[in-house]
Amino acid sequence: MNFSTQNNASIHYGASATGEETLRLIAGLPAPKLLEERVKANLNSAARTARILRWPAPLVRSQGWMHSIAARSAAAAAIVFVVAGGSWGVYSRVQPALPTNVILMPLRTVPSNGFSSAGAIRTPQTLNGSVVAHPSAVMPRQNKPASKSANQTTAKSRQSRRAVTDARE
Amino acid sequence: MEIADRAVYDETGQHAEDATLTALVDQYAATLYRVAFSVLRNASDAEDAVQETFLRVLRHRGTLGEIRDHRVWLIRIVWNIVLDRKRRAKTRPETDDVAELARVLPAGGLNAEQRAAAVQYHAHVLACVDQLPTKEREVLVLSAFEELSSVEISSVLGITESSVRSRLFRARNLMAGLLQHSRSIR
Repeated sequence: MNFSTQNNASIHYGASATGEETLRLIAGLPAPKLLEERVKANLNSAARTARILRWPAPLVRSQGWMHSIAARSAAAAAIVFVVAGGSWGVYSRVQPALPTNVILMPLRTVPSNGFSSAGAIRTPQTLNGSVVAHPSAVMPRQNKPASKSANQTTAKSRQSRRAVTDARE
Repeated sequence: MEIADRAVYDETGQHAEDATLTALVDQYAATLYRVAFSVLRNASDAEDAVQETFLRVLRHRGTLGEIRDHRVWLIRIVWNIVLDRKRRAKTRPETDDVAELARVLPAGGLNAEQRAAAVQYHAHVLACVDQLPTKEREVLVLSAFEELSSVEISSVLGITESSVRSRLFRARNLMAGLLQHSRSIR
């Protein structure tokens, strides 16, 4: 095809001005000798190696058994059956993990007085009784009523003593 | 015997495919080589591309009967192969192109000095071609093949015929500008 007749550019510039002369020269270079023979030899060796792994002809050609609709349908059904069966087997064996409902309990210290909880998880607090936080903080409270009573006794004894002395006088 | 008949049929079909493939090699190997060389500009690379083209055809020889135009189909295959190779290959120095051109260009009755000058000029033109945008360069390279029509170029490149013409017009204008610029510098 001569593009120079179709384009104004090539008419205006000419083939040498646009470098097409060089491209045509390269496009017209002869092919190396015996190129066809080398290509054929390569194809023969490639075809020989490819035939080793070829399927048997009855399986490959258009008249082969795999090209019948019944065989294709059976093969497709077998594949679906195997996949579905495998999936169901896995699903039926693996149970979904239940949501965990665990409450963390505080660790109970074993009482040092020789008694144990006997493995009871929860014991009512009434059995343990009231717990004294600190003995020193409790002691003054216990002394106060004692001192009051002591004071009362001393006052009473003073009064009785006064009454006795008054009676003697 | 049905199986025996099928085997005979297969053997016959295989021989027919082999014969078709051999005929394609005889008919189009040289054309494919020239297309490959115009892009790769290296003889051994171009021959490798031709070998790879026919190996691909061998793999799909079962579809040979469905191909309308074997020549355009083969040129399209080799064109894709050489573009892929060109993309992957590292940029070769321009001196390699000059040496390869000096080796392959015909003497044409020129003395050594004229021949060296011609080789330098052609190498410079090819360097300008390399500076073109890809789309324009592809059309320009393929248009250099006398046996390819614009319709065939469009089917090789996968574009419309009008696109081929417009790209070729732009490519020629760009090439003229590049060559004129280099002449004015010298």
